[in-house]
Amino acid sequence: MSQPTDYQIELERTAKDICELKARVRAQPGDPEPVTKLAYRLYHRASLTASFPDYQAAEAAIDADIQHFGPKEDLCLLKATVDSHFHRVSAARRDLGMAPALCTRPEGRAMLADLDLQEGRYENVRTSYESLIRENRTWDNLARLAHFKGRTGDVEEADRLYVEAEDELTAKEMRSYAWVELQRGVLRLARGRHEEALAHYARAEAAYTGHWLTDEHVAEGLAAQERFDEAVKLYESVIERAPKPELKQTLGELLVFIGRQDRAESWFEQALAGYLESAERGDVHYYHHLTDFYADIRENGPEALKWARMDLELRENHATLAALAWALFRDGQLDAAQDAVNRALSSGVCDSTLFSQAAIIERETGRISDSVRHLQMAEEVNPHFRGFHVHR
Amino acid sequence: MADHNDPNAVNSIFSDIDHSPADLYDLFGFPSSDTSGGEKVVIALTFASVPDANVLDSDLLYRILIAAHPRVKWPSQKEFTLDALAGYFDAVKSKYLGELKTAEIRVTIDPAQRATVKFIGFPCGSFSTVVEIGKALTIQTPDGHSIQTFIGGRDDAFFNDLTGFFRSINYAPQFYHVPHTMTEARELPIPKTLLELEGNDLFNYDPNNPLLGRGVKKDLPPGPWTWKGDKFKKDANGNFRFVYSGEDAQAGKNVNAIILEIPLAFITSSSTANRVVNTWGESWVRKAAHKVEAIPDHPVWLEHPWALLDAIHLDEELQKYKLVDTDGQPFADAALSEREDNRQLGANNFWLGPHFVRRLAHLGWGFGPSISALGLATSFDHDNSQVSIHRTYSSVVEAFPRVRKTLFQGLRMPDDSWNPRGLDIPLRRPFEIFIPNVCAIDMDTTGTWPYGRRLEDQVATRFLAMFLDMEATFNGRKYHIELLNDQSLWDHAPIVPKTPPNPLRNDVPFLDHFPYLAEPHRQ
Repeated sequence: MSQPTDYQIELERTAKDICELKARVRAQPGDPEPVTKLAYRLYHRASLTASFPDYQAAEAAIDADIQHFGPKEDLCLLKATVDSHFHRVSAARRDLGMAPALCTRPEGRAMLADLDLQEGRYENVRTSYESLIRENRTWDNLARLAHFKGRTGDVEEADRLYVEAEDELTAKEMRSYAWVELQRGVLRLARGRHEEALAHYARAEAAYTGHWLTDEHVAEGLAAQERFDEAVKLYESVIERAPKPELKQTLGELLVFIGRQDRAESWFEQALAGYLESAERGDVHYYHHLTDFYADIRENGPEALKWARMDLELRENHATLAALAWALFRDGQLDAAQDAVNRALSSGVCDSTLFSQAAIIERETGRISDSVRHLQMAEEVNPHFRGFHVHR
Repeated sequence: MADHNDPNAVNSIFSDIDHSPADLYDLFGFPSSDTSGGEKVVIALTFASVPDANVLDSDLLYRILIAAHPRVKWPSQKEFTLDALAGYFDAVKSKYLGELKTAEIRVTIDPAQRATVKFIGFPCGSFSTVVEIGKALTIQTPDGHSIQTFIGGRDDAFFNDLTGFFRSINYAPQFYHVPHTMTEARELPIPKTLLELEGNDLFNYDPNNPLLGRGVKKDLPPGPWTWKGDKFKKDANGNFRFVYSGEDAQAGKNVNAIILEIPLAFITSSSTANRVVNTWGESWVRKAAHKVEAIPDHPVWLEHPWALLDAIHLDEELQKYKLVDTDGQPFADAALSEREDNRQLGANNFWLGPHFVRRLAHLGWGFGPSISALGLATSFDHDNSQVSIHRTYSSVVEAFPRVRKTLFQGLRMPDDSWNPRGLDIPLRRPFEIFIPNVCAIDMDTTGTWPYGRRLEDQVATRFLAMFLDMEATFNGRKYHIELLNDQSLWDHAPIVPKTPPNPLRNDVPFLDHFPYLAEPHRQ
């Protein structure tokens, strides 16, 4: 029998903790400590599995606890974390506001900066992260700033910050270390440095074995290296462990990319069903994927535009603006698409997909020199941008 | 309390932080009574028994640092001024950053639960050996000395009413559910005190909830967490209520420990001149990046009982770890660092000298009036305040006059037994006890605190004695550091319960032979 992986061990330990805490809560229903711990452990399980029912269980516990014990800071922070994860930006701000002192604490300020990032207030984001780091160089804030720097094109500084974040992490935080390694890999993959990316992913796997999240990144890296069979096999394995609709779409796209349309369609159907089921429940976090799906898979402009506008209403940032531009382009509204992509470009984000889409829109609107320039920029950022890649 | 339950990043008092093997508890150090073959010093570093007693964490690295030097006397002509104190801090800084050569004993554990013990920078050079966990054994040094060694689980040698101490400083996380993020809800802005304050409902003993703070926690009510009263609480008989109970919070608990009995001649080649052995402990945890590398221990360490390390760059090893906790003096955290992560400086705490003065003044405004209310004389100048006051200082100059006596008075010993040869050894003064944050073992004494720290020392109560005026008398005798451990004092004081603040002895007897700490409890 093979050794359990780090991921399995952690998942098992979390399940055990949840059982024990549930027993404690039953025994001491008025004690906020086990109740709060239970909510945190439920959220932890959800973040490991990425399973929607697990998230639902965590949210239900958090809501019940807040109702019973009032807006305790730790519960409000947790609620804001979940809401932010699901792109419910206004709700997350409301959560933080329930415990007003939270917004003055480092954890609350970091969350507010994360929400600013979702809403495209990039200057606020940068100054907030930098200020938090000046006060206390925690690994998570270093990683936040690194992500921001990477997005805005300062790759060297981003990697330096990720390395610094790693140096703050101890042997007791190997999952976090593995996550930072994945980010360092993503940084390289987005620049077409596939070998280096895969080396980081391998290091992530060595640090924390058996996590589907690592395998998902490896699968993308393999596809980028045109090791398609391995990539397909690995994606299938990842989907077995984490059946998320966006992974199914990615596998479908990969199959199309390698000329296996026959196998792709069922994955697309499953992905779409998952997105729509989520949206029907009232969730908003798949709006972006629905936009992307209708624009690129179905090439259905009006439908893509519908979801793009709904997403933009919630969060106006470079990604939602770029998605709107692409949906408008698919819908044949070229001038509006040009306007939207200009706004996305003005964010200062440095991304080969954004540049290449801008180039296509500009070509169609007759801005040839801009189109050529943006195509060059896309190639500069990632010489392999035409290869297979995932929109992160 | 050294670091017992101190909520730095590895602490266990917060519900959202697990126990950690990096949480150092105590450092004991005293001359061994066994002088066969020469003088020896006993050093014991204790820490949380995680994963278990006798099972050590292979991601941890423990250091015991040792520096021997001659005893230094505070020049008698020196005035007790702030300038003189600043001069002392500077001298300590120069000493620790410059001339002083520090040797160390470094312990790491491999996954098979074997301990690699490295002796670094001793007069004979550096060497290492591998030992078994949970066994008392002898390490032979290259220069022919024998070092008694034990690494593993023992009874927690600390005996203390931890809850009482936290009640005295209104430390909310011991009594209330306080998220780690709420840093302002730790030491609440209520006067520190030895006697309960009238109307201090957050921290006064509640007979309806007697276990509050002893495992039971309540929900912290919304602020402001202040106190508006103006007197100590008294019962119908006119008795104050003591914040302490004298109960041992550590009874029945285990620790893991590194215990060594080391010949003085191994530590210093001038054992007649270097009579003071300074020691302190550190815990380091492996960095994530280096766990991935999984660098095996150098084979030479595993294949030979001991091997010279000249060719190996030891600093490279330390760079793979992150310093988490330090331990030298008991109560250094309470007195100095306020249990903050970024103040885990060990011997280098001379940087905190000015903070020490301000912090001591803050504590004095709490403990000084309590002592006066009991009819005892205090070393702290509180302007005859009738009740404890919550006061903080931003200025050392402003704080210093209040604590001048507390800082500079010699801490009188209860009798002469601490100085068996009757040598001219000055009484130690608080400023030199806490800065640097080391356990300074005077080899010409028994090593009882503050001349080291013996297992049987009730250091928590001795710490409180700093706030007594050592020139005053009780029953015809001058005050001394054991006065608050004297049951007769409490029998006659207007207070309940009539008990010394902390237990007088450990829950289980210590051993009269190495490794001295009692066997671990079965759990």
